[in-house]
Amino acid sequence: MFKKLIEKSFEKSPWLFHLNTGSCNGCDIEIVSVITPRYDAERMGFKLTGSPRHADIVLVTGPITSQSRDRLIRTLAQVPDPKVVVSIGSCPRSTNVFNGSYSVEGPLDKYVPIDVSIAGCPPKPEAIIDGLAKAIEILREKRRAMK
Amino acid sequence: MVVLKYLFNVLVFPGLLFSALVGLILSGLDRKIVARMQKRIGPPLIQPIYDFFKLLGKETIVPRAASRRTFLYAPVIGLLALVTVSLFIPIFKYTAVSTVADIIVILYLLTIPAVALIMGGAASGSPYAGVGISREMVAIISYELPLVIVLLTIGKQVGMVLNKGAITFSLSQIVSYQAEYGPMITNWRLIPAALALLLIIPIKVGSVPFDIAEAEIEICEGPLVEYSGAPLAIFKLNHAIKMFIMTSLFVTLFLSGKGTGILIVDIILQILLSAVIVVISISTLKAITARLKVEQVLKFFWTYPTALALLSLILVWIGR
Ligand code: SF4
Repeated sequence: MFKKLIEKSFEKSPWLFHLNTGSCNGCDIEIVSVITPRYDAERMGFKLTGSPRHADIVLVTGPITSQSRDRLIRTLAQVPDPKVVVSIGSCPRSTNVFNGSYSVEGPLDKYVPIDVSIAGCPPKPEAIIDGLAKAIEILREKRRAMK
Repeated sequence: MVVLKYLFNVLVFPGLLFSALVGLILSGLDRKIVARMQKRIGPPLIQPIYDFFKLLGKETIVPRAASRRTFLYAPVIGLLALVTVSLFIPIFKYTAVSTVADIIVILYLLTIPAVALIMGGAASGSPYAGVGISREMVAIISYELPLVIVLLTIGKQVGMVLNKGAITFSLSQIVSYQAEYGPMITNWRLIPAALALLLIIPIKVGSVPFDIAEAEIEICEGPLVEYSGAPLAIFKLNHAIKMFIMTSLFVTLFLSGKGTGILIVDIILQILLSAVIVVISISTLKAITARLKVEQVLKFFWTYPTALALLSLILVWIGR
């Protein structure tokens, strides 16, 4: 029963950590709009946290710049298991318009496996919420596999 | 039998289980009300319970720089202190433990969760936690003075009637005073003190205009920054229980009385009144204000709430 309760709680209370790895800020603003009154992701239990130690879902925006690469790896290592990595926008997926720049080291899947990737430049808030709903399912599967 | 009774008191009612459940639901109510005030739908009422169980299911990481034992025991110490406090607070006529000076016991025990937060933060070895604990200390310094004056005021008022002028520190005496002369809030001399206590509740539970220690945007939740998994869950639980205890203390000090005589109705009444106080003093303030700066908090608490509490004290002293 206890196990079931914890599993159910994982579905109901995924906390987000937002990691900017050199994005143009377009995606970041769309993430913020997801928690505004219009879209209100908090009704599904999403909450932005300030510390990677509290997070369940990590939202990565931006192509990986050489400045942010080490920090990305370090921050992701700080997130306790089970965790899900979500890439927001085209940048972490393909480095988008920044492709070929001297300071871009992306894409993201060179460094960590991506669980959900939400396309768009920037993606719509609806698309982000949809992607997060998929991330919750993956989070639950990972919790099941843990024990 | 006596041992069993105390065990029941500590673990079930009014101790751990009861105050945890009510506290978690009250903090869910707080989140819901704030969401409604911002025209959002808001999370379900039992969201904090989900949060708690989710955190129990997460991995617990102890940072390399942390001193392991203090880091893991700090939240438990805070929880123990809070459960002890919950035994002392009367629910109308009912008290689990009653002593002659329970206000002093409560006053001391209520600082322990804050001290536990400081301990845990200091043990985690993170610079953000360092900033957080220094801010937590500023918060303690700022609210402790008006809180003591408020309690003195009520003690004086009750003592003048029941105790031949000597200040009383017994909560059950305060309740029996209110059973005879009506709730404390109906006495106009004590209304400034009630206002002061309404302003102290949010800083005590660390909610928005005064949450300088756990400012998640500037210093990543301060002392909690390195916590994860079960210890974090217990800290969140502490937070919820503190919310219930502080509002319940307000109800006992200002809105208590004879009650209905039936224990279960009294308990429900106490919870409902606490919920009203949560809405008034925590949620409304949270929805209409933004975080103050550290020095503003200190200045604010040493002027307005202190002045209000002192005003009440003087009125009570010269009255009658
Ligand atoms: S995907 Fe587009 S909007 Fe998002 S960070 Fe990249 S360039 Fe900016």
